[in-house]
Amino acid sequence: MVLLDYFEGKKLLDKYGIKSIESSYVSSSKEALSFAGKDHIVLKLISDKALHKSKAGLVKLDLNGEDITVAFKDLELKGKDLKPYKIIAQKMSKGGVEVIVGGRTDPQFGKLILLGLGGIYVEVFRDFALRVCPINRNDAQDMIDQLRSKNVVTFQGKDNEMIIGLLLSVSKLLTDNEKVTELDLNPLIIKEGSYVAVDIRMITG
Amino acid sequence: MKKMDLKPMLKPASVAIIGASRDPDKVGHVILQNYINGGYPGRIYAVNKSATEILGVKSYPSVLDIKDDLDLAVICVPAAFVPDVLDECGRAKVKTTVVVSGGFAEIGAQELQDKLVAIANKYNMPTLGPNCLGVMDPRSRVDTLFLPTYKLSRPSVGGVSFVCQSGAVGSTVLDLISGEGFGLSKFISYGNAAHVDEVDILNYLMDDPETKVIIMYIEGIKRGKDFIDVAKKITKIKPVIVLKAGRTSAGQAAAHSHTAALAGDYESHEAVFRQFGFTIADDLSDLLNYAKTLESEPMPKGSKVAIITNGGGTGVLTADAIGLSGLLQLANLSEKSRADLKKVMPPLVNLRVPLDIVGDADEKRYGDALDILSKDDGIDMFIVIMLFQTPGADSRAAAKLISFKERMDKPMIVLSIGSDYTRMHRIMMESAGLPVYDSPSAAVRSLTELFKYSNYRSRLPSRN
Repeated sequence: MVLLDYFEGKKLLDKYGIKSIESSYVSSSKEALSFAGKDHIVLKLISDKALHKSKAGLVKLDLNGEDITVAFKDLELKGKDLKPYKIIAQKMSKGGVEVIVGGRTDPQFGKLILLGLGGIYVEVFRDFALRVCPINRNDAQDMIDQLRSKNVVTFQGKDNEMIIGLLLSVSKLLTDNEKVTELDLNPLIIKEGSYVAVDIRMITG
Repeated sequence: MKKMDLKPMLKPASVAIIGASRDPDKVGHVILQNYINGGYPGRIYAVNKSATEILGVKSYPSVLDIKDDLDLAVICVPAAFVPDVLDECGRAKVKTTVVVSGGFAEIGAQELQDKLVAIANKYNMPTLGPNCLGVMDPRSRVDTLFLPTYKLSRPSVGGVSFVCQSGAVGSTVLDLISGEGFGLSKFISYGNAAHVDEVDILNYLMDDPETKVIIMYIEGIKRGKDFIDVAKKITKIKPVIVLKAGRTSAGQAAAHSHTAALAGDYESHEAVFRQFGFTIADDLSDLLNYAKTLESEPMPKGSKVAIITNGGGTGVLTADAIGLSGLLQLANLSEKSRADLKKVMPPLVNLRVPLDIVGDADEKRYGDALDILSKDDGIDMFIVIMLFQTPGADSRAAAKLISFKERMDKPMIVLSIGSDYTRMHRIMMESAGLPVYDSPSAAVRSLTELFKYSNYRSRLPSRN
């Protein structure tokens, strides 16, 4: 069981037209600053030894200017016990609704796809829908309808159609790629009629 | 994958009880006794090493000594002897077997169980169990249960088939079914599922014309892909209501992703059930409640429910349950219905849903209300509340509901809450195919499941 490199995961998402946020590995605070330009960014430390990045304080949100240098140094310090690690810089996505789209391999039924209310409370509210891959359009709509948070997730009418398209793409990715045994796109942010996966966790095995 | 033919197991023309005993305390005695008491019309043989006759039935030392074609052998000898006995069955060309005996994988004796499977495969002989209650079919009067009839009442003949992995759940629910107004088509308890499993059973019941509805208690599915194959097909033909054990199994502590942490074993089973149109039960009572409505009621055309009641408060509670269902809505009466009702109802009746025809409603008033509302196109389903504690609600009023049931093409269920007098009428109505519930939530949840199933059935196949 191997955690796939972030950018290999991102490449696979690209192939299926699944949008993820602009990101780059950075090896110094200078690189991070130049990646940011005038935008606000997020810095994340990625290591096999840390599963829940946000719980371990390995995610630094909404950084700009001098904050970037401070945050980078702090991550370097925390990374000492988590080697080997990498630091990734991403453009900051503000607002919107956080959902989780995921996949898993069940020993009996094969690939499963998940849609849920996402973010850091995902395991508290446990508001999610699950189906066996490949799913069809009806299944995707059923998944959305099954959520208690349906009206939050599809706040705008057109979001419904967009999420259906996203679920069908993820289902295809999971079905086509036997080696991808687990997938978390969490959070995936839905905002202004669009979406973007902000964190990618793909496990192969 | 080859389909197993379970017909000889459920409709056997000839049966051998291997391990039949003269000792009334032995399982092999009770099973034979039940066959005799149940009036099984086929040919019956006992197999016992030393006896020549048990309970008036001729006994043979081995199944190989019986000069007859055997459709079914019921095996209730100690586990260690089962492989030899099963092999003899194979050599005697027995078509199917039920291994009642326990002492296999459930106590860790996997090797012994593997041996059993190898023999069943060698002779291509569908073998149910081991460690199971076996089968019951009130039409063919096959009954392999080792539970005496005075302790476990046998259900009447009907259209509900009950598939159950656990013997304990099986026998208690069977006992409960016998107290319901609906009847049984098949009972199949498959224990360790070593050879015949839920996939084979569903494949058989799918094509069984006597089975209108299937209720299932499952602990785990072993052939996931094959299960999905049969699941896709069966719910397009008949409803399947499923109760899955193991809802709270933690076991996901070491998950590597949020998805894996959320979607454990129960959740993945539930996902499959939902996706392929199964009706999911949360409790044993749901199995029975959903079964009677799904068996007898036509598919609703929409989600609008009319409530007719002789009790105001109960009507409101039922309306609340409809609101909480999230799927059903209260119907609005048409102008015509309101005008027609106004002519026949007492002035104090409010012309809206829930339609409270008040505490002195009798046979005639129920009849008038149903007569008018059954013609209202804005109504898709009916819940008729008849509280038998009131003066007008009696057997004639119940008979009136039954007469409407017979010509109504929309779903109609009854809510009657009470003890002896109510229970008597409940059985009367249910025997006539009119489902009766004893709580607003049970009634509304059952109707909701019917609505969900009808949505699943009616939707067009999706392209991608």
